[in-house]
Amino acid sequence: MTTPPLEPWEVFRQEKDGSPMTHGGSVMAPDATLALHYAREMYSRRQESVHLWVVRRADIHDLADPDLLQPPLDRSFKKPGGYVMRDKLAAARQISGEAKPRAKAAKAR
Amino acid sequence: MTLDGVEPIAMDFAGAGDGRERGLAMLLLSMADDEFVIGFSDSEWTGIGPILEEDVAISSLAQDELGHAQALYGLFVDVVADGRDADAIAYDRPPEGYLHARLLDHPRGDWAWTIARRWLYETADAARLEALATSSHDPLRQLVDKLRREERYHVMHVDAWLDRLANGGDEPRRRLTEALAAMGRDAGTVLAGLPGETALVRHGIIAEPFAAIEARWRAVTSTRLVGLGLPALPGTADPEHARNRHSEAFRALHAEFTMVRRSEAGATW
Repeated sequence: MTTPPLEPWEVFRQEKDGSPMTHGGSVMAPDATLALHYAREMYSRRQESVHLWVVRRADIHDLADPDLLQPPLDRSFKKPGGYVMRDKLAAARQISGEAKPRAKAAKAR
Repeated sequence: MTLDGVEPIAMDFAGAGDGRERGLAMLLLSMADDEFVIGFSDSEWTGIGPILEEDVAISSLAQDELGHAQALYGLFVDVVADGRDADAIAYDRPPEGYLHARLLDHPRGDWAWTIARRWLYETADAARLEALATSSHDPLRQLVDKLRREERYHVMHVDAWLDRLANGGDEPRRRLTEALAAMGRDAGTVLAGLPGETALVRHGIIAEPFAAIEARWRAVTSTRLVGLGLPALPGTADPEHARNRHSEAFRALHAEFTMVRRSEAGATW
């Protein structure tokens, strides 16, 4: 074995238990072990993370084609914007004679 | 056991009266000096590491060691209680007053040399910390619990590098082998017996004598080195002088790390 070349690894980090993994940045490393060590140094040495992932950048499949992601024709009719639940609920309440429920109190922290 | 050159410093432990406290002071100071010297020495890689990521990693490891040294000097000054603070202990002694192991008298050298020195030190330090995990000296036991959690990563990281140098082709392997051969006979100095060690074992400050710790460390390191196709470590040279009679390289390092402090004695920084 000779030394493998350095390559970029993308680093994902979880800030606290239950939070989603979010992209933190990248590190250069020759393999997954050192990529994790370097990710630990760059993204968690001051206790910023509880969980890290590293993913070889070459293993990420990429799609950024605007024709596929931002179709040019108007398709707003596909969106549920015209369907207003509020009015339908108000009509249903009127028929049943039920009062509008009070807004839920903000969750105590 | 006496270590000539160590004894005059041991006599300075004014507040450390009985055998227990003198032994404890010696243990704490030798550990603190080990961490301080390797921490300062490896911090020389900051800005010149082999790649940016490793530059940050080795600098971070070096800073960890200085933090550990600070905590251990803190425990030492509490035991000795002669009015000196941790900074005075760290910076105001002459080079011959330091009690770090002879392994750390070697300069950082090239990258393979730094990895070899650190691997030898980290594995020995891990064995020492394990023997202190149930120490009867509460402040030490509590600190060791934290140190071990950080040192676990140090061993992982340096062992990953040992593997990569051993298997990284002709030149990395040759440089690693040379470094291990040059420092091998000094590696065991980290775990050489200390004056006052009998009292430390009797009072439960350390779980077993250093000879037993060293034997376990040798078994673990031999398995690893032989597994990589490298020779096992030779016996320790001149163990009676494991922590004194420091090298010219250390004197140069000492001149550097005390330079700012010496520039204005007694100044408030």
